[in-house]
Amino acid sequence: MKRRPSVLIYLALLFLAAVFVLPIAYMIITAFKTRVDSQTSPPRFLPRAWTTDSFTKLFNDPGSPVLTWLGNSVVVATIFAVLSVTICAMAGYAVARMEFPGRNAVFGTIIGMMFIPGFVFLMPNFELMSKLQWLDSYQALIFPGAASAFGLFFMRQFFLSLPKELEESARIDGAGPFRTFFSIMLPNARPAIMTLLVIQFLANWNDFIWPLYTLFSDDRLTLPVGLARLQGAYTIDYPVIMAGAAVAAIPVLILFIFLQRYIIQGVAASGLKG
Amino acid sequence: MTTNGFSRRGVLGAGISVGALGVLSACGGGKGAGSATTKATGDGGKSGYNGPDVSLLFWNGFTGGDGAFMKKLVEQFNGEHKNIKVTMQVMQWSDYYTKLPNAVQAGKGPDIAVMHVDSVATNAARKIVQPLDDVAKALELSETDFAPVPWKAGIYKDVRYSIPLDVHPLGFFYNKDLMDKAGLDAEKPPTDLNSYMDALDKLKGKGIQGHWASPHPFTGGLSMQSLIKQFGGSLYSEDATKAVYNEEPAIKAMTWWVDLIKKGYSPAKVGQDADFLALQNGKTAFNWNGIWSINTLKEKSDLKWGVAPLPNIGGTKAAWAGSHQFVLPTRKQADANKDQASRVFLNWISQHSLEWAKGGQVPARNSVRESAEFKALNEQAALATQIDDLVFLPAVPGIGDAGAEFDKAFNEIVLGGKDIKATLDAAVGRANKILEANAKKYGA
Amino acid sequence: MTTNPTIATPPAATVPGAGRRRRRPRLAGNPMVPWLFMAPFLVLFATFTIAPAFYGLYISLHDWDFTLPGRPFVGLQNYKDLFDAESVTYKPFWNGMKNTFLFVLFSVPFLVTLPLLLAMLLHREFPGRTFFRATIFAPYVLGVSVIGVMWKYILDAQFGFLNRMLGAQINWTTEQPWAWISLVGITVWWTIGFNAIIYMAGLSDIPEEQYEAASLDGATTWRKFTHITLPGLRPVLIFILITTVLASANMFGQSYMVTNGGPSESTKTVLMVMTELGFGQSRAGAAAAASYILAICLGIVSVIQFWLMRDRDAAAERKKQKRAAKEFQARRRAEETNR
Repeated sequence: MKRRPSVLIYLALLFLAAVFVLPIAYMIITAFKTRVDSQTSPPRFLPRAWTTDSFTKLFNDPGSPVLTWLGNSVVVATIFAVLSVTICAMAGYAVARMEFPGRNAVFGTIIGMMFIPGFVFLMPNFELMSKLQWLDSYQALIFPGAASAFGLFFMRQFFLSLPKELEESARIDGAGPFRTFFSIMLPNARPAIMTLLVIQFLANWNDFIWPLYTLFSDDRLTLPVGLARLQGAYTIDYPVIMAGAAVAAIPVLILFIFLQRYIIQGVAASGLKG
Repeated sequence: MTTNGFSRRGVLGAGISVGALGVLSACGGGKGAGSATTKATGDGGKSGYNGPDVSLLFWNGFTGGDGAFMKKLVEQFNGEHKNIKVTMQVMQWSDYYTKLPNAVQAGKGPDIAVMHVDSVATNAARKIVQPLDDVAKALELSETDFAPVPWKAGIYKDVRYSIPLDVHPLGFFYNKDLMDKAGLDAEKPPTDLNSYMDALDKLKGKGIQGHWASPHPFTGGLSMQSLIKQFGGSLYSEDATKAVYNEEPAIKAMTWWVDLIKKGYSPAKVGQDADFLALQNGKTAFNWNGIWSINTLKEKSDLKWGVAPLPNIGGTKAAWAGSHQFVLPTRKQADANKDQASRVFLNWISQHSLEWAKGGQVPARNSVRESAEFKALNEQAALATQIDDLVFLPAVPGIGDAGAEFDKAFNEIVLGGKDIKATLDAAVGRANKILEANAKKYGA
Repeated sequence: MTTNPTIATPPAATVPGAGRRRRRPRLAGNPMVPWLFMAPFLVLFATFTIAPAFYGLYISLHDWDFTLPGRPFVGLQNYKDLFDAESVTYKPFWNGMKNTFLFVLFSVPFLVTLPLLLAMLLHREFPGRTFFRATIFAPYVLGVSVIGVMWKYILDAQFGFLNRMLGAQINWTTEQPWAWISLVGITVWWTIGFNAIIYMAGLSDIPEEQYEAASLDGATTWRKFTHITLPGLRPVLIFILITTVLASANMFGQSYMVTNGGPSESTKTVLMVMTELGFGQSRAGAAAAASYILAICLGIVSVIQFWLMRDRDAAAERKKQKRAAKEFQARRRAEETNR
């Protein structure tokens, strides 16, 4: 049943939308101001004169290679999401559709670990990274979180909901368990896989504490951590910082516009909070 | 005071002014020399570097205006040395001190770094930085070239780990307009207890709270360290095995500071940096602050101000000071080319120390400090006269952890109005435990 | 890095009941097959989740310095220190705990109620709904550091836009209570869309007929809210409350980026204390001990919340609700036939 809300409600909603959009717009616009402009009181929303100086400054500063950071973030988050979804889907499938001794114990243990907050793993995993010589490397960002209990649970729930006939027909075609999984079950799990991919990609993309302490070199940082360092290095040269923030924000915003459905679906379905 | 203090100050100052953030500007001075591996028999970079192209990573925490200055020097160096490329990586001091040990440990550390004097011993004990004795020898650097304390502070267990770069003492900044207003001679700032109290009274008569007593490490804690020394005490025992700031001199100093508030020379609950802003805005006449404030005040063209050595309140001349030191982080894999090239860099920087001094610091190196060119920098030179009365934190590993207890106790007393003796006793108790644990941990 | 203690329901797909009993012989032909499917997951899970959970306990029993070779065993000293007012870790830790507690206290009420209002506004179909829904959710996809630098500029006391709009001179990030107000405000702005989406999903599970029946019955909007919406949302509410408390208790980035824990460490959260202890001062043993204490505290809080919300026998209530709905429907049908 569609109901058109009253004009008043539309106005309220528009106001709300402005509250959410304008700060982001202001951030991006500030990147096009001069430093003096950004530090002139009273501030103006639009630049007194548009300039791309801060982008030039940023891209030419060897100490803050934002484009490298962007590349790092893309590579790491993509590998992480693909790896995580693959192993979670395989394990989730086994737990959902196969019966084997020890299944409940294994599943129970994994779910139980879900209730241990992430910060408990900071110190031991740091020591582990140090022992593996993985500090300051992509591996440190990819492997520790990939076997996600939540991801496994999420995939399991989805596989539970698929009709049994899928496997039956595969069996009649003479497919083994692995072919059944990869060529029948996975394609049928596409909505769940897309959702989990997006969730894991975003979670890794936005991860902050872990890369903050495990990455050191300028050219290894991911965007969120790079941005924190940028803020330290440029203190109140706001246009440069905002240029960095814009570089970090625009790709995810574009991603969000296109994958909005999956993201919102994923959140609605799961309640992943980071 | 502690490295933590510095970083916190650096961050909190961010909203206040650009210049203030240049908190700990380095300035040339130290005929810096670098070395490399322990067995380096190098010449301290004297003969230059003829090897293949190398790039060096240089970490520091110069996030403010001084960072730009250091960057300019680095660019000039790169221009003059075709086969060496130094890349500067700047982060906030707190991040820097968190990352450096872990990065070096992981074999991902920088080739060159700058460190506060009270962190050198800690990092030496952790084997994060390399011994530099041979380099100091090769460059013919000796104690007589440097102010004694920053020079000695680079030594841990009889081995040198750092080359002093600069000294940044606390100074007495005053607002000349307000002094005029109170009928004081703006060219003759008070120098001792009587004249200081007399000036405060006169200011009070005009409704001016003359000296805002900050409860924060910046600048209150630094002032308090100076005062304790002035009253004949110190924070730690000679060998830094015990904290002693619950003794008579410290109590006298604390009492004097708290009385500034009680007697109405200062408002209660002074905010972080509020004292320095009040000086700039003509709300208070006196502020004891770091030499790095010179640049900030110079930017205020309409402000009439002066700077002098700290007045002698307690009976002995003394002023807190810190110092930046060059260090070479340990290398996991030997690289003779980088070792030599980093020495060339340090050597070069030290030769450009006068340029550096203009940034607003006191050079650690005697020859530069005593040069006519430096003396022409009036404000810096005025504070440089304190060079023999400076108070540094002792060079023992982990002293920063113990210093945090002092900061907290000081804050509780000034801001929270807690009983002086009892608070200091408790803090000293905790500090002693830390010192004891550190001694065990670092095997001192 | 963060494992998310969440309970999921699967995206829509039909659940056929058939074929269950025939599953075993089909795929379990080789007993190794399920383990092969699980192997990659289990290897990583065992290495980076299960082992560290215990390795952390081991670390917490030592004076563990990441950069020193010597790591003496100290027994429970790290734990004792956290409860010994004379120890070095006591003050920072409990100050952090207090600050984290305050943040939970200030932020959770807003984070639980405001999204519900939004969700009620947005959950019905109307033209433009997708746009508005996307807009309020957009900030959530941005990372905390983007949010942090952005708001730091907007909140700047001298050049900030907020002070200009309000015509005020407020030190948003360097003075209390403004610093808390800023951090709570930023967090609400950042995550409101997240909880709202979950609420919307919950709202769409409440059958429309219940509302219609209630309307026919002459129920007021408020009555409908308390008698249909809230009971219908109970599981969602429990979920949101628990996850929101946990998320707020994990607060780190906002303080790190915007106030850096200030003024005077009054917004320094326990996570900041923990990382500073472990990575800054290299006292990993103490940091690990603190992390277990905090984890236990959070566990207790979660259980209490769960218990409080469950207390009124949700099952019975749901039954009652169903019965009521049926009655409404029956009455409505009766009325319709009467008409």
